[in-house]
Amino acid sequence: MATSEVKQVDPGIDPATGEFRVIGQGQTFRSVTEKITRIVLTPHTPLGWFAYFGVGGAGVTVLMVALVWLFLKGVGIWAVTQPVAWGFAIINFVWWIGIGHAGTLISAILLLFKQGWRNSINRFAEAMTIFAVVCAGMFPLIHLGRPWVAYWVFPLPFTMNVWPQFRSPLMWDVFAVSTYATISVVFWYIGMVPDFGTMRDRAESKLAQYAYGMLSLGWRGSVRHWARYETASLLLAGLATPLVLSVHTVISFDFAVAALPGWHTTIFPPYFVAGAIYSGFAMVLTLAIPLRKYYGLEALVTERHIDNMGKVMLATGFIVGYGYGMEVFMAWYSADHWEAFMMWNRMFGPMGWSYWVLVTCNLFIPLTTLWSRKLRTSITYMFILSIIVNTGMWFERFVIVVTSLYRDYLPSSWGTYYATKWDYMTYIGTLGLFTFLFLLFVRFLPMIPMSEIRTMLPAAKIKPKAVTEAGD
Amino acid sequence: MSKINPSAKSADNDAGNAVNNDNNNAQDARSGAGAPMTLDAVRAQLQGVKGKKFWRSLDELADSPEFRAEVEREFPSAAQEWLDPVSRRGFLRLMGASMALAGLAGCTKQPDETIYPYVKAPEDLILGKPMYFATAHPFPTGGVPLLMKSDEFRPIKVDGNPEHPYNRGGSDPYSQGTLLDLYDPDRSKKVTYRGEDREWMDFAQALREKVQESKDGTGIYFLSATITSPTLARQWQAVQAAYPKAKLVQYDPAIAGTYAEKGINTRYALSAADVIVSLDADFLSSASYPGFHGLVRDYANRRKDPAAGMNRLYAVESMTTTTGMKAEHRLKLRASEIPAFAAELAKAVGVAGVQPPAYAWTSEQQAFLAALAKDLKANAGKSAVLPGMYQDASVAELAQAINAALGNVGKTVFVSQETVNPLPSDQIADLKALVADLNAGKVDWLVILNANPIYTTPADLNFASAFNKANIVAHLGSHMDETGQIAHWHVPAAHYLESWSDVRAYDGTVSIVQPMIDPLYGGHTAHHVLQMLLNDPLVSPYDAVRATWQQVLAKNNKGDFELGWRKSLHDGWVEGTAFDTAAKANVPAEFHGSVPAPASQETLEIIYRPDPSIYDGRWSNVGWLQELPKPILNLSWDNAAIVSGYTLTKLGLKEDDIVELNVGGKRVQAPVVVAPGHPDNSVTVYLGYGREFAGRVGSGAGFNAYLIRTVNAPFYTAGSLRKLDGKWGVAITKSHYQDHRGARFGQQGSGDNSLEADEALGPRGIIRYATLEEFKVNPNFAHEGEGRETPESDTSLFPNWQYNEAAWGMSIDMNSCVGCNACIVSCYAENNIAVVGKQQVRIGRDMQWIRIDTYFEGDLAAPRAHFQPMNCQQCENAPCEQVCPVGATVHSSEGLNVMVYNRCIGTRYCSNNCPYKVRRFNFLLFSDYETESLKLMRNPDVTVRTRGVMEKCSYCVQRISAAKITADKENRPVRDGEIITACQQACPAEAIVFGDLNDKTSRAAKLRANQRTYQVIADVNTRPRTTYMAEVLNLNPELEATPAEHMPAKG
Repeated sequence: MATSEVKQVDPGIDPATGEFRVIGQGQTFRSVTEKITRIVLTPHTPLGWFAYFGVGGAGVTVLMVALVWLFLKGVGIWAVTQPVAWGFAIINFVWWIGIGHAGTLISAILLLFKQGWRNSINRFAEAMTIFAVVCAGMFPLIHLGRPWVAYWVFPLPFTMNVWPQFRSPLMWDVFAVSTYATISVVFWYIGMVPDFGTMRDRAESKLAQYAYGMLSLGWRGSVRHWARYETASLLLAGLATPLVLSVHTVISFDFAVAALPGWHTTIFPPYFVAGAIYSGFAMVLTLAIPLRKYYGLEALVTERHIDNMGKVMLATGFIVGYGYGMEVFMAWYSADHWEAFMMWNRMFGPMGWSYWVLVTCNLFIPLTTLWSRKLRTSITYMFILSIIVNTGMWFERFVIVVTSLYRDYLPSSWGTYYATKWDYMTYIGTLGLFTFLFLLFVRFLPMIPMSEIRTMLPAAKIKPKAVTEAGD
Repeated sequence: MSKINPSAKSADNDAGNAVNNDNNNAQDARSGAGAPMTLDAVRAQLQGVKGKKFWRSLDELADSPEFRAEVEREFPSAAQEWLDPVSRRGFLRLMGASMALAGLAGCTKQPDETIYPYVKAPEDLILGKPMYFATAHPFPTGGVPLLMKSDEFRPIKVDGNPEHPYNRGGSDPYSQGTLLDLYDPDRSKKVTYRGEDREWMDFAQALREKVQESKDGTGIYFLSATITSPTLARQWQAVQAAYPKAKLVQYDPAIAGTYAEKGINTRYALSAADVIVSLDADFLSSASYPGFHGLVRDYANRRKDPAAGMNRLYAVESMTTTTGMKAEHRLKLRASEIPAFAAELAKAVGVAGVQPPAYAWTSEQQAFLAALAKDLKANAGKSAVLPGMYQDASVAELAQAINAALGNVGKTVFVSQETVNPLPSDQIADLKALVADLNAGKVDWLVILNANPIYTTPADLNFASAFNKANIVAHLGSHMDETGQIAHWHVPAAHYLESWSDVRAYDGTVSIVQPMIDPLYGGHTAHHVLQMLLNDPLVSPYDAVRATWQQVLAKNNKGDFELGWRKSLHDGWVEGTAFDTAAKANVPAEFHGSVPAPASQETLEIIYRPDPSIYDGRWSNVGWLQELPKPILNLSWDNAAIVSGYTLTKLGLKEDDIVELNVGGKRVQAPVVVAPGHPDNSVTVYLGYGREFAGRVGSGAGFNAYLIRTVNAPFYTAGSLRKLDGKWGVAITKSHYQDHRGARFGQQGSGDNSLEADEALGPRGIIRYATLEEFKVNPNFAHEGEGRETPESDTSLFPNWQYNEAAWGMSIDMNSCVGCNACIVSCYAENNIAVVGKQQVRIGRDMQWIRIDTYFEGDLAAPRAHFQPMNCQQCENAPCEQVCPVGATVHSSEGLNVMVYNRCIGTRYCSNNCPYKVRRFNFLLFSDYETESLKLMRNPDVTVRTRGVMEKCSYCVQRISAAKITADKENRPVRDGEIITACQQACPAEAIVFGDLNDKTSRAAKLRANQRTYQVIADVNTRPRTTYMAEVLNLNPELEATPAEHMPAKG
């Protein structure tokens, strides 16, 4: 058959297994372990790491300054006002949570779908999820007028006997995000246990041996351990999978449940989830491309990964595009004046520029170019594109939050929104915090799961049976 | 042991009996210590303290030797408290609070003379139970009879006297704002002479000796604000008799040159007028027009039931005012065209002898004139023509002649011999003479009474340089203002709520001005100053006022003066003092004066008007009034050069640009703001801004328009305008975007409309109105058409609420509302609303719980405006209630959306979800927790909100509760009308009605059942409890179809 002929000449196919090759040629158990553990266990931290860490640290400092001033003065230092009572804080919250989703999708859904290529990227994608959730989780707290009573949103048995209001989507957020954070951390940690074992065994300093020894929970690599480990991974993947869909669905309810034109729409849950995965994959690319280059991991995170992520983005990008299209269509088709005006105002009102930034970054550029395999495998292009999509997704939330609020029902209350320096400082600060945490992760934890990479090497395939068969 | 001393002051004390040592110290430090902290002691503490607060905290005040001594004497058993640092602090704080409060209670003691509570006469003060006293706000356009709410003898709310025949309970923003003026922490607190502290008696003696020395009063000049008090007039006449050469000049910048300086003797009774014509008379905007309260009430009463007939209002005006915007037909004319137009109108209705100057009227203006004259003649005897105050004198005379020619005099217009203000004078001529005398060195002593001439006199008089030529200038004023700063003597003036006086209202009724509180800073009044020059200098204002009315009251009460006095104080007016309406005044229907010809179309006219919020600048330091969005403009914290959109484009300007106004070489910089419907080629400026020494709130706000005012043309004059670089940064609470949608998509619409109004009047159905003809054909017009359906009551996921007792609701009549803002200021006072400042207003964080939404319909060059008071709608299906994660806003058993401040964590989700955007959030710490005088002013029944908490209109739930408690005690249901919300109480038009919707006989329930009643954005199914009654306009069919010629308003 023609396909089999093509496959035979395709350098992407591993002749030993007949599967698509996701790991560079010539890798062995030893080379993989060597490569990954050396990044962590080396006593010589690269200077470049310090440089980026310094940048991240500066961002954290900016965040601290912004937060101290915020707590001293109140949310009035931000641009939030009437009628736009939510601003950067909520935009950033949704943006960060969305970014986190790709990590969970990679680690859970792709695991269940047996997408082996995910193994190279799932560890740092999960780390990304956790740090994104850290950044995101901060915002609902600090955006409160009285953050010191934030614990009132939890159903705690107070003597006052006052319960939170379960009809409020913000209440659901509390559960969704805290569940998500918990599962993500547990899943991430369990996945690292075999690697901690490796690290413990290879560590030379006492401190590292001790630390990784504690973290590895007595991992000895016995068959029983592996069986338990696989079961736990599958169970957690099963738990995390609905979360990929539910968390952003619940967050979209913050908007969809409200009675505001531009928010009050049933398409939000799927479109938010797709958007989350879209932006999450963009962020994985933003992180993976410099990392593989800097640490020489091209053989583990190959063009194939970049290409696959490009495809996922193409698919989710179209779902997002469908969402935008439906909003416009429904504004017309519903014959509802509130919707129609909202859409007109979103496109052509005083803040219409933000809508066109969003459409350009999220639809025009990615959806026209991601079709091209050449561009999908162009590392530079994909890096630039990932930044564009991240920007576009940030503007999507900006458009949803601000351009729905600033001109709503009563024209007398129309206003506008100009972000203040404190808004920008807080946003940049969380970017810094994210970088800071991520660099710590890169330095101290195995950023690529050795145990899972090993299963993908040719040596792990017991019987190269499918050589002549065309696969399925 | 020294550690336990609460302050370092006694750190050198020996160990041992530290408390006693403190006591000794105290006695050493200050003789008479150990006595309880009295009023005088608190005053002494506070005296000489300047700046933002007069004591930093109660702790600080309390942390004095006297205090510690007091504690020791009073609570010896608590001494061990002092050993434990933690509980010592708590103890101190507690004691500090109670002691300081005791001191403050002394501050607020009742005046020595007997004053009488209004309705109920409690034998003694019942804490937490307010008392009501009648008094009046003396204002140069006529006194405003008031009913003051007093809590523990602190006046905390100003409202109109509901039983007074003139204002019938209505009030206005100025009167409402005087409460904050009373508690203004920047009021001057001590008598000074050349900057040094003196006592009142020092001043009094110096003045008295000087006047006696002069024998006949030569060289003694008084410059006073318009004298409103008959008693003060009597005192002046006595002074004049004793010292015939002493001179009195009255000068009020907003009165001088107007017909009001002649004392106001014409009254309009609009209740009998079917056609009302305003010749630049802004009688619906603010109390600066004489008779505002009565005129608004009568005007509104004739619009409440369109089926029973309505009045029709025509307005010819030189700037955009709410009067013009409420008018059925409005003609904008440049200020100098109005006298000529009035003359044409006079001629058309048959006034004899009138010679209108030749002028090329446009066809639109001619059509308007013809239709107006025809309508007036058809309604002869049932019409009223009101002249503008800030117009050429001929306008008032022409209006009078027109009214006479139409036979209105005696029916809708009453002219009396007596005047409202007792001493009519030619203020401008007097002022000019004073300046001449000053420059000639004839003035020995100039005594300024409650005036601020350095700031308010027209710039070309050069008053400041003349001022320096007087030997001694004494200034009696409430603030250390521009004049006080350079006067030799400064004497703090007592506020009208602190002193006895009297005043006449527009209808002539005399009210006794009763003090509500002892002078906070020991101020004195003009009564004291003038009395000081007479033979019996120690007669108090109280005795002087009593003496004035002795005969009248004795005569009216069969010789029993005391009975009459008590009754006058109780009722709020002196019986039988109203002007006689039966007497026939002889007003000739002719006019022989000259009418000034209009200025050329090309000249740029500058129009001066008192500010609708702060008047002539006297209330510059009243934050409520500064922050109040001015009607039409929605501008707060500034005045502006107000122009039309056409003029703006023609001059190549944009809104908020800085321009330089030039009048005869005097220049001032101002921001430009567009008023829809303003006449072209003219600029309106409001007086009262740009003050240097107004206080912490008012200093530096806006620009000083007096600097370009000339003494010979105080109302309008020719000037020029030049663009400067930069933006001013005005704070406008609501904007009006030009609606370019139609033009962009090739649809209809010139692009000159307001986008907001096109939306509000069009598909959103926020404003609904009909003409009287349409209304007669279809009284149900408010409920028919796109976007006007009201969903059925079962259209909801949630079950309907059940109300077993009351279900509160509010009805707002848009036909009556004139957009005067009184409700907003009243709400400020009632609900302890914070003032946030200009920068916060600029970014949209004003905290007003009620606002007047203004929509300009049609071409912005000649719009019609719709005023819609908007407060919390208390929705049945409240979007806010469902989204609060902590349940801080919940539905009450009586249908209110109650806001639980303590529970609010500040997610602001409720505000986002509120379709009416009536929620207000404390983004920062907006409430002033520090300034002591403001603490006295606060309504004790309403929480002062802290940072991070959402707030909103509560339908004055504290008043509901108070009424329910009273009703409960009397074992009866709450009566309809027993609960009056603050906005409703202030409204001079009675546009707001509150009541129980469950009681089908209540006014609110009946109004809700009215066909004109509609819910704003009903189709969202929020089911608001506040409903609106659609407007009905009584258009003149002849003018309805007149094609309007408008220059396009680009901008």
